[in-house]
Amino acid sequence: MYCDVKVKERTGIINPIFTCQPCGVQFASIGIKDCIGIVHGGQGCVMFVRLLFSQHFKESFELASSSLHEDGAIFGALNRIEEGVDVLLMRYPKAKVIPIISTCSTEVIGDDIDGVVRKLNAGLLKEKYAGREVHLIPIHSPSFVGSMVTGYDLAVKEFVTYFAKKGTPTEKINLITGWVNPGDVTELKHLLSVMGVEANVLFETEAFDSPLMPAGNHVSHGDTTIEDLMDTANAKATFALNIYEGGKAAEYLEDEFNVPAIYGPTPIGIRNTDTFLKKLERITGKPIPESLVRERGIALDAITDVTHMFLADKKVAIYGNPDLVISLAEFCLDMEMKPVLLLLGDDNSKYKSDPRIIEFQEKLDYKMEIIMNADLWELEDRIKNGGLEIDLIMGHSKGRYIAVGYNIPMVRVGFPVYDRAGMYRHPIVGYRGAMLLAEQIANTWFADMEYKHNREPVLNVW
Amino acid sequence: MPYHLFKCSECIPEREKHAVIKGYGETLTDALPLGYLNTIPGSISERGCAYCGAKHVIGTPMKDVIHLSHGPVGCTYDTWQTKRYISDNDNFQLKYTFATDMKEQHIVFGAEKLLKKNIKEAFKAFPEIKRMTIYQTCASALIGDDINAIAEEMMEEMPDIDIFVCNSPGFGGPSQSGGHHKINIAWVNQKVGTFEPEITSDYVINYVGEYNIQGDQEVMQDFFKRMGIQVLSTFTGNGSYDGLRAMHKAHLNVLECARSAEYICNELRVRYGIPRLDIDGFGFEPLSASLRKVAMFFGIEDRADAIIKEETQRWKPELDWYKERLKGKKVCLWPGGSKLWHWANVIHEEMGVEVVSVYTKFGHQGDMEKGISRCEEGALAIDDPNELEGIEAMETLKPDIIFTGKRPGEVAKKIRVPYLNAHAYHNGPWKGFEGWVRFARDVYNGIFSPIHELSLLDISKDEIPTDKGFLTQHLLSDVNLSEEVKNSTVLREYTGDYDALKRIKERKYPEFPRKSGLEGELSAV
Amino acid sequence: MTEVDVLDEIKKERVEQLLDFILKKCLWQFHSRAWDRERQNENIVVKTMQILCNEPIKTDTAQDRCYYVDAMYLAENYMKRFPWISEIDKGELKEIMQGLKERLDYLLIKGSLNAELSDPHY
Repeated sequence: MYCDVKVKERTGIINPIFTCQPCGVQFASIGIKDCIGIVHGGQGCVMFVRLLFSQHFKESFELASSSLHEDGAIFGALNRIEEGVDVLLMRYPKAKVIPIISTCSTEVIGDDIDGVVRKLNAGLLKEKYAGREVHLIPIHSPSFVGSMVTGYDLAVKEFVTYFAKKGTPTEKINLITGWVNPGDVTELKHLLSVMGVEANVLFETEAFDSPLMPAGNHVSHGDTTIEDLMDTANAKATFALNIYEGGKAAEYLEDEFNVPAIYGPTPIGIRNTDTFLKKLERITGKPIPESLVRERGIALDAITDVTHMFLADKKVAIYGNPDLVISLAEFCLDMEMKPVLLLLGDDNSKYKSDPRIIEFQEKLDYKMEIIMNADLWELEDRIKNGGLEIDLIMGHSKGRYIAVGYNIPMVRVGFPVYDRAGMYRHPIVGYRGAMLLAEQIANTWFADMEYKHNREPVLNVW
Repeated sequence: MPYHLFKCSECIPEREKHAVIKGYGETLTDALPLGYLNTIPGSISERGCAYCGAKHVIGTPMKDVIHLSHGPVGCTYDTWQTKRYISDNDNFQLKYTFATDMKEQHIVFGAEKLLKKNIKEAFKAFPEIKRMTIYQTCASALIGDDINAIAEEMMEEMPDIDIFVCNSPGFGGPSQSGGHHKINIAWVNQKVGTFEPEITSDYVINYVGEYNIQGDQEVMQDFFKRMGIQVLSTFTGNGSYDGLRAMHKAHLNVLECARSAEYICNELRVRYGIPRLDIDGFGFEPLSASLRKVAMFFGIEDRADAIIKEETQRWKPELDWYKERLKGKKVCLWPGGSKLWHWANVIHEEMGVEVVSVYTKFGHQGDMEKGISRCEEGALAIDDPNELEGIEAMETLKPDIIFTGKRPGEVAKKIRVPYLNAHAYHNGPWKGFEGWVRFARDVYNGIFSPIHELSLLDISKDEIPTDKGFLTQHLLSDVNLSEEVKNSTVLREYTGDYDALKRIKERKYPEFPRKSGLEGELSAV
Repeated sequence: MTEVDVLDEIKKERVEQLLDFILKKCLWQFHSRAWDRERQNENIVVKTMQILCNEPIKTDTAQDRCYYVDAMYLAENYMKRFPWISEIDKGELKEIMQGLKERLDYLLIKGSLNAELSDPHY
């Protein structure tokens, strides 16, 4: 077997690939309209996540803290949630959905966030906010379990579980995008639109790329409504494009409301997009239109220009969110490249049985390593001390110093990306995303050829 | 009424005592915002936690240290690559961060073994690094791991390493300031006095409360070295672990920040008799005064005067070029803590701008006393501002520019107020004479941006001239400028390099003869 | 207004001029605890007065030298900015400096609203 799947041998983390669960929950919650989460824990658990989002999107998002201080850590801090909900409701008249998001500290001290939600529902909301639509949703996301990826998965499920309500069946599908960028949502909606398919999109984050308007509009937020979430129970099927980021919600909808769950594919690359559209065609009965044949053709035409001439046999290391990393590797293989190292940043036991990983194990004829529970030192150590030679790194900005330090060209992809402008706008899904990504890889390589005087004259007649 | 209650905070009236308008003829005894009190939950305050105050703000700028956080991964992740403190050892502390990665089983059964393994792994990965700081987090504090004991044990096992333990969990105090404080006291208690340094000058200082944002420390160190003063340690920007263990050997503590950095200086005074001199490194006049004071302490004013003269001649015409164009522009000075008072008066005097508001996220009342003293009458001072208050203030005050953090800066952008990063700077360093010009240039480029000018227009409603292909900063800034200023042959725009540190790194320093051993020793004590 | 009142007013105004400079340009008066501030005010204002009055100044300990440099900065700037300082007699100047010290003590210690000044711990 050429593909080696193993867990990082060290116990600790040197330069993490992921952050912890509450961040994932917060990322899901900003996708919902009129939603302001309250994170129950120390203030850093919110302040830094807001900073991270603003680093990536160059926008500000609203998230509140229960501001756990010393007294709360000793005596319990449920009173801080009660006060926090009240203060938030008083000052943000539009707020309707308030997830109460636990963290390591409040899970360790055992604060009963479900109990306090019941208490608030029976007390404060009935008395002071009678007639106002408010949804308090406790979400347990201790930081010492899983990662930001499982936090996101969990949050989508909790929101769906809370809101989904059986009504009249519709022709719509549920589209759970996973942890993607606004540019990806735009592209996915485009594919659905040309297919003539309507969807409840979880989450509508196109507006994260928000304009600078003459009237001033100080924050960005998602646009998935309570109605969209309720309606998920009535859809024809749920497409959880990323198995690890929305799969749980799809499973819930199937178990609870018999909405068929379709897991994947993450539509990165031509082949995965083909699969997605074919599944969509099968479920909805809508044919794939000529315009998509053409779009596909444009992408193929562009990608052909760069693959066998430039990208073939280039060795790549990829790190980031699991569905992203795996599907990027698949796309790279289609482009004749050689992903030699895949780093998945948490210890999810499901990775080992992921059919895509099994396929790598069964069919690859060169050595690929997949490291679970990985950190970025797994990559750097191999380069610095292990003799690993790679031509390209694909991953998010937290790994930028490996590229900088060892002069390896790097394509920024995933979350967070803060050291390149506007990447959240560039789709990597669908035919268009495949084309743009292939071109970005090629252009990154070209720039590197020039900086290093590495056969750069060949570009003269390309 | 000097106290100010924001409309958006009428439902939380306790906020009234946190904002003050500096009234005409009023003094600090008439009104002073409350400070460093527990945050109102749900108010969307901008404060961070005590862990980040200890690790991210004070601890991590130490350059030759493995910074290991004992807890789940998030705390470490959050405090990594979110600041711009560089170092002259290829930014080791900026590039590498370490987490013990505490999981559920550790919460239940304890994580001390995990910590031990981590310590070994980290030193093994970086054999050239022999120093470590371990930071407690909320999780490791609550499960009660004895980090100190583990550190002692490991130091016995590996004699060439040294470990500092900082117990400052996120919930410890109303804001990051709690952590600033804890790490200071912990350092002076655990580490000062445990290393004997090489003394190379008759004049030896500790430079305290300087974090080397974009090279500030290197700029200041350059001045000290040109005067023949040995900077034994910098607490903590670009500072080395062992240098800081030797703080007790300095003759003078030169203090630049506030609050907790004061405590360490006070303790050094009490324990080792080292006096504390508070200085300002920002702005021509305050910086000149500061350099002079430090030199005068050692009786070498002439060396300071020479530097001040040279630097002022070189850079003053450039500062004044910007001052002429920035006169009267309204500024919201909304940093985290100390910059509100470092800058409040000097940007008014040396850049000509009007400070219409100051705020502090984590400062104490002492910071507000300084800030309010130093800003002009009519300014609005806010403690622990929350999101809505910040927006209300910007909409009422209509500043031309705001100096604040990255994320609040994004809010300002949307309200179409240009922003400069007050914590991490735009094109720093901003300390030093050249640095101060760089700051002025950043302010100028922010305010007189043609794109900013476009953002104020509504294409559907406003008259927009159709005969313009472009505008420039000059075309915008020089509209009402006198011919004399416009045509001045003295004033000029910034002429330094993109990287202002390059020149410093190449500098050769003069060698000053030392006094004979005994005399030198005596005069220095 | 009587002549004494006028003189009092002038004195007061001069104290305020000196005070304003300290508040805007100096940091030594803002130490974090009351006892610290008392010590700072006492030492630096007195040393400034001694410099302005050409009196001998103690600089033999490191701590004294540290007060001295802050006092020198103040004295130099006072001379530069306030020509009246060299025009009045020393007795009057001492009174003004005493007034300055009292104002500083009041604004920053006795009348201060800073609740941390009396905190016994750091």
